[in-house]
Amino acid sequence: MKRFKVFLDVEKEEQWLNEQLEKGYRCTNISGLGIYTFEKTEKKYVMRLDYQADLSKRRLEEYKGIYEDFGWSYVKGFALNGIRYWQKEDDGQNEIFSDRESTVHYYRRLMKYSLWLGMLFLAYSFMIYNDSRLYHEGLWNMEGSLFWKALVFETPFALIKLLPAIMVVAFSLSFYKSYQKYVVLKGQ
Amino acid sequence: MKHKLLPLSETMHYILLALREPRHGYAVMQEIEKMSNGDVILAAGTLYGAIENLNKHGWIEPVGSSGRRRIYHITDEGREVLKTEQQRLQHILSLYEGSE
Repeated sequence: MKRFKVFLDVEKEEQWLNEQLEKGYRCTNISGLGIYTFEKTEKKYVMRLDYQADLSKRRLEEYKGIYEDFGWSYVKGFALNGIRYWQKEDDGQNEIFSDRESTVHYYRRLMKYSLWLGMLFLAYSFMIYNDSRLYHEGLWNMEGSLFWKALVFETPFALIKLLPAIMVVAFSLSFYKSYQKYVVLKGQ
Repeated sequence: MKHKLLPLSETMHYILLALREPRHGYAVMQEIEKMSNGDVILAAGTLYGAIENLNKHGWIEPVGSSGRRRIYHITDEGREVLKTEQQRLQHILSLYEGSE
């Protein structure tokens, strides 16, 4: 089974993946373009997403080695965005973090992730919105039904142009979400 | 100012104690489970992060490998930290005794 899905929020992605596994699947591959491949299984699996950017070859090897010793298998990891996908058979010990300290660090890493992508889209937005308008200038001089037709015609293009700005908002929201969890855990 | 890892968290404390003998990551987890009578069972990400952190601060160091697993051992600095923590905890324990 293949599913196409795009996530901007690591925790939502983890939740969605586990919902698929609960239906009797296990994940066999994830492509960078948002294609998730699953296969039917009799066993119960769980997935956990970690965020680890900038792992040197040596550290990646050690990182993977420790998780594998604990029974996790590395489904996929993207060096570019730092998300690591771990899966194991459900055996009651299904968490990758066992204390508050390391969970706090996890949320701090997620904040970094949203911040970095948010900034990237923000910079991009500045570049493209600086010298172009959302709608064609002549549109606002049109009258009656011609105006409405032109507006409807141009709106999809305007939305595509708005996409980077939408991404900035989405990453800001997930930054804020991680930040809240970080603060609550850290304050305890 | 106090070191940012002090006072030691339960996880860090147990790892330093377990690494008074050279061990690889998974063996550290098993030893801690034994030492704590099954009370403290570290998860993979927590163990990995703690080892990285202790290594970065020079309290443990890699001393070799068995297959692809790296073996770590406590450093002299790490032993100093344990000694300081022992004194701190002994003091707290003495306060318990004083009040009864």
